[in-house]
Amino acid sequence: MERAIVTERLNGIFQDIFDDPSLVVRDELTASDVDGWDSLSHINLIVAVEKEFRIKLTTGEVRGLNNVGDFIALIVKKAA
Amino acid sequence: MNLARQNNNADLDYARLVRKSKRLESIPGARTLRLAILSDAATQQFVPLLRALFHENGVNVEIYEGAFDALELEILNPASALYAFQPDFIVLANATQALRGRYYQAGAGDFLENAAARILEAWDAIGDFSTARIIQFNYSLPYERPFGNYDLKVPHSFYSIAAALNLHIAEGARERPNVLVCDVEAIASWIGRRDWFDDRLWNMAKSFCRLDHLPLVAQSVVDIALAAFGRLVKCVVLDLDNTLWGGVVGDDGALGIAIGPHGDGEAFYHFQQYLLSLKRRGILLAVCSKNNPEAALSPFLENPGMALSRDDFAVFVANWENKADNLRTIRDTLRIGFDSMVFLDDNPFERNLVRDRLPEIIVPELPEDPADYVRAVSELNLFETASFSDEDVERAEQYRQEAGRMEVERAFSNIDDFLKSLEMKMEIGRFEKAKIPRIAQLLQRSNQFNLTTHRYNDAECEKMMLDGNCIPLYASLRDRFGDHGLISVVILRRTPDALAISDWLMSCRVLARGVEQFLMNYVVYLALREGLPKITGDYLPTAKNAMVKEFYARFGFEKVAENKGRTVWHLDPAAYEPRTVYIREEGEVSTAAG
Repeated sequence: MERAIVTERLNGIFQDIFDDPSLVVRDELTASDVDGWDSLSHINLIVAVEKEFRIKLTTGEVRGLNNVGDFIALIVKKAA
Repeated sequence: MNLARQNNNADLDYARLVRKSKRLESIPGARTLRLAILSDAATQQFVPLLRALFHENGVNVEIYEGAFDALELEILNPASALYAFQPDFIVLANATQALRGRYYQAGAGDFLENAAARILEAWDAIGDFSTARIIQFNYSLPYERPFGNYDLKVPHSFYSIAAALNLHIAEGARERPNVLVCDVEAIASWIGRRDWFDDRLWNMAKSFCRLDHLPLVAQSVVDIALAAFGRLVKCVVLDLDNTLWGGVVGDDGALGIAIGPHGDGEAFYHFQQYLLSLKRRGILLAVCSKNNPEAALSPFLENPGMALSRDDFAVFVANWENKADNLRTIRDTLRIGFDSMVFLDDNPFERNLVRDRLPEIIVPELPEDPADYVRAVSELNLFETASFSDEDVERAEQYRQEAGRMEVERAFSNIDDFLKSLEMKMEIGRFEKAKIPRIAQLLQRSNQFNLTTHRYNDAECEKMMLDGNCIPLYASLRDRFGDHGLISVVILRRTPDALAISDWLMSCRVLARGVEQFLMNYVVYLALREGLPKITGDYLPTAKNAMVKEFYARFGFEKVAENKGRTVWHLDPAAYEPRTVYIREEGEVSTAAG
């Protein structure tokens, strides 16, 4: 799947999960940059992404995510 | 308080509920329920769902979340924050995955006995330190079976142990009215274990199932809590043609309709049997059908394939009037609220008409195929309850006796003559252990004739029983037509200068019989006997108890205060004129604590 499309759809999920319609995702974004990105919303995020892109992420893949850029790359790869 | 099931056919989407939980505003005028949740799984995902679902059911909720995996720590310590929170409910959300962890650590040995004892100890400690009701999760059965099909033959396999623990939970809960079971295993098996468990989510976030299924569990907890607080379905109203049998009796004749244990009628027969099981558990059945009355009755009299008989119905209405008006008649006859009625009809036009005209009545969709009726109705979990007593079983019979009384009443031109002819006898007594289940149930169920609507549970009732300054009274009534059972509760408190009526409630089945007059005469007699110069009473308004707004005024009480609809009343017992009643008292009355 194209990176631009993934980024756009991921942006919608972020806005929804963090309840902030002005939120814009970028590659360097990490949990510490976003208000309310805690362990609870992280799980909600993972589950929402799996549903949106119809993919299933392994525990290792989830643990390996360091920022939004990693996340996008992983989705692009899995949702091929 | 309005406990109507407001999210009937609810959309239990996880993401929707999480979004909703972020924007909840407290509902003005609704009651607030206090719920504590303790778990050896994570509760962060679960609690927002509870908040959203209680809100959708019209109830405010305060939730206390215990620390992760610290159940015993809080439960066994009477000074813990759990008890300081003063919960109405304590949810014990035990997870199969946590049990699995302990099982593999401990080894088989006496693991089962220890795990069962641990649960019972927790219940008993809660019972000692709190009057909260317990909502205990049972265990969703694990998918791992090291012995394959042989697993069940090995008593110490994890699979066998989880199944055995569920039995211990069920049996323990049967003996303890303060313990209600949330049957998580039933939900898991309904979903299917393969889809229910998500071990990755357990590892990452200690979630005991896939997030998509959490709302179903939360809805179950809400259903249990609201049933315990009085939201109960009391009556199922049924259409006849193509609902209770296949075909149209007016055209096909009593023997031409499809009904019976085999063939075309089997789906309807199964549905009738299901309705019969509801009736046996205390739900009233009523008929509301567009038919000639003779035609409507004919299958009950002539068709041997019917599982239900005419006597299974408390009310039978068949005419050509519109169904909304007929449902009003049924409500008036049974004296119950619309929100405790379920209407089942195969015809979408009738369903929509009733939804439109009587929005409080629960009107589920019925599937096209009658073979799916029982499943569709079961899936809605409409018949939740927090108690089951012999009175439930007898209720249908009592309503039929009532129909007999109504006929006699019509024969008398004078109400006093009618009341005399009933030969009523009343028993009044202090709460006693054997009667507590029925008393607590009446406290839960009575909405209309209820002055203060305090929902005391079994444990609180038992406490009053032993309190020397409290006079908790029940009253039972019978007459020549039969036994009404325990129909009224009056709770009095002695203060230095007054007899305070803290609660007064009565089943609406015995309205206009002189029961409350008899009891007021008795309360005044008690005040005079104790030399108390004043009787006081409160009225707390709810959405349903307008009927008793002027209750105290009718007995000559003087209104001394009024605040936001709540009124306070005083009476000088010496000035009270005893009311005429046609009830005789039977049995000895002791008001002393013991």
